[in-house]
Amino acid sequence: MSEPVVEFRHISMQFPGVLANDDISLTVNKGEVFALVGENGAGKSTLMNLLYGIYTPTGGEIYIRGRRVERYNPKYAIDQGVGMVHQHFMLVPSFTAAQNIVMRKEPKKLGLFYDNAEAIRQTRALVEEYGLEVDPTEKVADLSVGLQQRVEILKALYRGADILILDEPTAVLTPQETDELFAVLRRIVAEKQMTVILITHKLGEVMAISDRVGVMRKGRLVNVKNTSEVDQRQIASMMVGRPVLYEALEKTGTPGELRIEVAHLRCLDERGLPAVRDLSLSVRSGEVLGIAAVEGNGQSELIEAIAGMQHIESGSVKICGKDVTNRSPAEIRAAGLAHVPEDRLATGLSAEASVGENLLTGRQREKRFRKAFDFLDRSSVARYAGELYERFDIRGAGVDAAAGDMSGGNMQKVVIAREFNFDTPVLIIAQPTRGVDVGAIEFIHSRIIEKRNAGCAILLCSADLDEVFRLSDRIVTIYEGRVTGEFVTDQVTREEVGYYMTGAREVAQ
Amino acid sequence: MSERMQQRLRYLAFLVISILLAFGIGAIVLAVTDHEPLAAYKAMFQGAFSAPRHIGDVLEYAMVLALCGLACDLGSRVGIFNVGGEGQLLLGAIVACQVGVWLKGSPTWLVMVLAALAAIVVGGVYAFIPGVLKVKVKVNEVITTIMLNTVAALLCSYLVKGPWQSSSKYVTAGTEKLNAQYWFGGLIKGSKLSTAIFAAAVIAFFIWYVMQRTSRGYEMKLIGQNPRFARFSGLRNDTVVILCMTISGAICGLVGMFRVYGAEHIFKSGISNDYYFEGLMVAMIARYQPLTTILLSLFFAALKIGAEGMQASAGVSNHIYLIIQTIIIFFMAAESGIFTAIENRRMQKAARRAALARREGGTDNE
Ligand SMILES: Nc1ncnc2c1ncn2[C@@H]1O[C@H](COP(=O)(O)OP(=O)(O)OP(=O)(O)O)[C@@H](O)[C@H]1O
Ligand SMILES: [Mg+2]
Repeated sequence: MSEPVVEFRHISMQFPGVLANDDISLTVNKGEVFALVGENGAGKSTLMNLLYGIYTPTGGEIYIRGRRVERYNPKYAIDQGVGMVHQHFMLVPSFTAAQNIVMRKEPKKLGLFYDNAEAIRQTRALVEEYGLEVDPTEKVADLSVGLQQRVEILKALYRGADILILDEPTAVLTPQETDELFAVLRRIVAEKQMTVILITHKLGEVMAISDRVGVMRKGRLVNVKNTSEVDQRQIASMMVGRPVLYEALEKTGTPGELRIEVAHLRCLDERGLPAVRDLSLSVRSGEVLGIAAVEGNGQSELIEAIAGMQHIESGSVKICGKDVTNRSPAEIRAAGLAHVPEDRLATGLSAEASVGENLLTGRQREKRFRKAFDFLDRSSVARYAGELYERFDIRGAGVDAAAGDMSGGNMQKVVIAREFNFDTPVLIIAQPTRGVDVGAIEFIHSRIIEKRNAGCAILLCSADLDEVFRLSDRIVTIYEGRVTGEFVTDQVTREEVGYYMTGAREVAQ
Repeated sequence: MSERMQQRLRYLAFLVISILLAFGIGAIVLAVTDHEPLAAYKAMFQGAFSAPRHIGDVLEYAMVLALCGLACDLGSRVGIFNVGGEGQLLLGAIVACQVGVWLKGSPTWLVMVLAALAAIVVGGVYAFIPGVLKVKVKVNEVITTIMLNTVAALLCSYLVKGPWQSSSKYVTAGTEKLNAQYWFGGLIKGSKLSTAIFAAAVIAFFIWYVMQRTSRGYEMKLIGQNPRFARFSGLRNDTVVILCMTISGAICGLVGMFRVYGAEHIFKSGISNDYYFEGLMVAMIARYQPLTTILLSLFFAALKIGAEGMQASAGVSNHIYLIIQTIIIFFMAAESGIFTAIENRRMQKAARRAALARREGGTDNE
């Protein structure tokens, strides 16, 4: 059974200032699910981008089915049967699913004209064959993230991929969608003898689906194991190079005055349909209120409305007693709010600006960075940014590198570092650990609880129910833009919360 | 830091190559059209530098290009493209001129200050309108500013043939000539250079300083790079964009006043021959970097004045200037495509060498 399909031989990849892959040798076999894990910035995405031909390695060689890769470009890789689904999707939103799937290899009438009927037919056939349910005629913009991911996978399969690379596919999925994805992966591996390489930070998933696991640390491949021979704790300590302590989070103090008050809020989504319907909630100082909801039930609009990034149709929002309904983010921040947004690339960062500038943003008018004549003192900025960079254990090519060149998890740390360091009385945090490694999750979780214990009022929204349970003092479930239940965390089970999240049960308000 | 330095060097190398290539192609064009390329280029050089008055004209034109280019930089930094500078310049010029005509007899300082203020206000308002339309109603500023250019040109030509027309029978389409007491002092005899260039230098320094060195300049950059992030982090994007656009227009208006009070002393059609667009080209080639814009303005001014001299002395059409300028723009635009590919290959080779050297050195990756 162990017939090698992909071989990395002494692969190195040097970026300016960062050796992202350091002499990596690895063989992946036909018909296996290979999990690749490692801390943020360990070089996982880079290694897979090399296999997909996005970069050319600066050292070493890759063999696909025993043949040396001659040219490093995605077209060549696709011809060799390699398909990749990136962390950030690469679909055309205004095209239908079928159009996206056949793109660059469109069926033609008379060898000339794009044949839409045939595209739909072929897509249907693929859907049948692999059991990846998608409506071929639906516009991608109207599909949920989970379905968009399926389109990406189908696109790779349509091009004849039998080596499928998935870069953190489950980071954006609901638990339900993750289960469905894994079922599909198991099937294609068993029935079609395909090979899957899966990057993930969720060690439970590694255990659940992979045959073997490779652990990367600081650019090196430090270990390859059969999954059946290790447990999560061992993997975690291989990743960070020391035992990972899951310390119990110590919560102290009692809730104080009201800091966030949302009353009868109504908002519309991008398409103008009601997203938040008559929603009320409140958060006190020294407590964490967790929102449990299935993606797309208005929680994103709710958070953006509180932060001033979304128009409010009716109802009100108060921060620290001040009415900030439909105020600008500037005014709401002045009232005492800091915000870790759900989408770090679009909202939380400027990818073109340096890491240091991203860490500074929001403080550029402070006295310590500003000399006479509004002069921005670059050296004190560098000192400040460097200090935050250290304190939040950000890893990359330093504060002068462009933020867009960092690894996904490290971008997240930049956003967290900046927002947490404002030391505001109110914090709104959406998806704090999306794409973040286990060690960093521990770190971020303890920072959140530290804030809470210091009296900050925290509103937390996460697709990861475990995270919600671990951090929250109280939990509200939201379904179709309404609060369906409110619980004290210690007095409720996950199953029960699950019922309320899906609207199967509701507490009359 | 070193990466940024590398980028700058690359840009510079690129610019030099583009310019050399452009001159090369220009030489071929000259040869094909039966001119002696070397002689023509020599005449061009002499046209720009052979006499103090030529140098004076170069500096005067460089001033116009630089201020127009900087006005364009200012907008593009926050993500708004001011294509309407030509109209702002024309209106600033004509209003400033008319202020001088109306206030004939008033003290010099009063007239000049009022004229400058009038030009600033008119140019500013004329840019404020498309700015507001863009921010509040999302109307594309390129379209509105182009339309406003036409409106301004028509308005000026109406005014100089109608209500504000000169009483002199030698001027068919122009305003009254300014009284010499209100002129900026000439600096070089026979050239258009005037003391206005000192005011221009102060303004140019100020714009560079604000854009590159201040916390406000930093905020402008953020707005241009990712407006959503800028808003999220508490900046008032709308206000800043409108403000930058207005200042951009005000500068263009002031350039109009400088042209009238420094060089022409009258408003007539020659007050600007699409000078703003030439400044905009320079800004584009300079990638909207203020210092580069200023330096390239000097280069292109020399080229243009030189080409005019060449036309006079060697009888070569000054269109060669346009050809050279266009080719440079073309190459600079192509750079991002072609040359990044070459650059990537070069970088990867260097990186491979570095990785090998590291391996042999046997240092550890910590
Ligand atoms: N295009 C690039 N230019 C410069 N440096 C880069 C580039 N891409 C990645 N890097 C650097 O290479 C290192 C490895 O990045 P990579 O994206 O492979 O990490 P990762 O293991 O996928 O991390 P994560 O789990 O956070 O996604 C990081 O330090 C990153 O800053
Ligand atoms: Mg990654």
